[in-house]
Amino acid sequence: MRTTAHRTPHTEMQKTSTYIGLGLFFALTAFPLLLGIGYALLFSLGLAGMLSEGFTSEHWQAVLGSESFWETMAFSIYVALVSIGLAVTLAMLLVVRWPRTFESTPLSFFIYWPLAIPAIVMAFLIFQLLSKGGALSRLAFQLGLVDGLSQFPDWVNGQYGIGIITAHFFMALPFFLILYTQMYSHEGLKGLMQQAFTLGANRRQAAWRVAVPVLLRRSFATVVLYFLFVMGSYEIPLLLGSQSRQMVSVLTIQKLQRFNLADIPQAYTISVVYSVMVVALVLWLLGAKKQV
Amino acid sequence: MSIEEQKSQINGISLILIAVILFPFAFLLMLSLGRRWAYPMLLPAEWTLDNWQAIWGGQAGLGESLLLSLALSLSIATIATAGSFWVSKQVAYHRNRQRWLVLAYLPYVFAPVILAACLQYFFIRWGLSGKLGGVAIAQLFITFPYGLIFFTSFWTERMLSLEQLIATLGGNTWQAYTKVLLPVAKGPILTCFFQLFLISWFEYGLTALIGVGKVQTLTLKVFQYINEANLFFAALASCLLVMPPIVLLWLNRRYVFSKVI
Repeated sequence: MRTTAHRTPHTEMQKTSTYIGLGLFFALTAFPLLLGIGYALLFSLGLAGMLSEGFTSEHWQAVLGSESFWETMAFSIYVALVSIGLAVTLAMLLVVRWPRTFESTPLSFFIYWPLAIPAIVMAFLIFQLLSKGGALSRLAFQLGLVDGLSQFPDWVNGQYGIGIITAHFFMALPFFLILYTQMYSHEGLKGLMQQAFTLGANRRQAAWRVAVPVLLRRSFATVVLYFLFVMGSYEIPLLLGSQSRQMVSVLTIQKLQRFNLADIPQAYTISVVYSVMVVALVLWLLGAKKQV
Repeated sequence: MSIEEQKSQINGISLILIAVILFPFAFLLMLSLGRRWAYPMLLPAEWTLDNWQAIWGGQAGLGESLLLSLALSLSIATIATAGSFWVSKQVAYHRNRQRWLVLAYLPYVFAPVILAACLQYFFIRWGLSGKLGGVAIAQLFITFPYGLIFFTSFWTERMLSLEQLIATLGGNTWQAYTKVLLPVAKGPILTCFFQLFLISWFEYGLTALIGVGKVQTLTLKVFQYINEANLFFAALASCLLVMPPIVLLWLNRRYVFSKVI
């Protein structure tokens, strides 16, 4: 009886805390997202906004039927795949080849420095380095490799997104170097590699059959999340991208801010398509994680 | 290869990598101290401290932006850390923990600028567009889920047992937090605080869209100077943006970046 009397107020308080906690969780996490995507969906279907004239699939047809939209999606995926692919490959190669390098005292401190560079500063840096009037172009001129600005290649604001890929690559490389250095020691890869050598494997076999599969498997979720982050990036493609080939965030915001009011529902349609893609990838990722 | 040779090879690689890492910082500093950098000169024609002295000058408004960014990011980091620490406990011990966490992951991976685009109408409607408060609320929408995911792993069975032990010994909730949970969580709280500070400090797209350019944080200043082709001031604003994270890193990299990885 005494115990029940003691427990009741405590349990009640706990229940109240849980309700308040979950309420706050919804208010700051799920609610804004559902509200935003819900509004975007209604707007794209002509059911919300000042321009709404009742249900229509016209904007969806316009977006899904336009070549430029699919080109934008393909370009975003291409940029994310190339920059993350290069960064992951190089980071893995460096860590597997010289695992102790990034644990050495001065480098283990300095390797964190690039993480202190925001995307907008990285974009500015790449622009000042790779553009036609940038530092590399000047160096090429001084070395007699080019005769002037016009001869320097279009690395920034070009069709192939070289500037965007370079910026993302330099942002991702230190991240994955630190990640793989930590994984290398946490997963006991030094011992596993030693065991492979004892069993007769050479350096390449030990790297390909032991170290790389372990690192890839352990970092898979992080790589996918980073891929999504690059796909949805805004500042870097805004500064380093071209007008004709845009990434998904830049295209959405440009359509939203154009004077042509008919573009606004299309901006919301693109937002919904992008959201569905992100949600599907995250659910798949979490499902795959559970199975592992 | 002998151990000595291996060591000298590693030292050589380390030195090259450190030089590569420091180059962007040196380059930004060079530009921030320069004037007149005509093609094809490799270095600026003039070197001056005038740009740095202009931080607190009336026209540039960089000093104000620096203070605004600091105040905003510190407030966001404080509120989001405290809020997500407490809420994560309610989520972590809930029977549907996994479902709630899936919801928390979504804003975390969603492009902040697209989230801002979808929510812009409501911010305009509620009079929050172009206001510091509006930008702060919008930034909470991306920092809070991060903190929540971060802290969920802290609330383990061991923590629950500790709390139950405190209750058994007659301690109340306040004592459980102040005497046990907060001291035990000091490390993760600091790490989360620094990381949320950085998320807010680095934010551009969402701030520009919800703030409609009126909430002039340092990231917006960088973009404004780039648009004005004022590369020396853009470099100066970039230096100011990069400095606080480097200082935090200098203080303790374990707290600043360890859980990012």
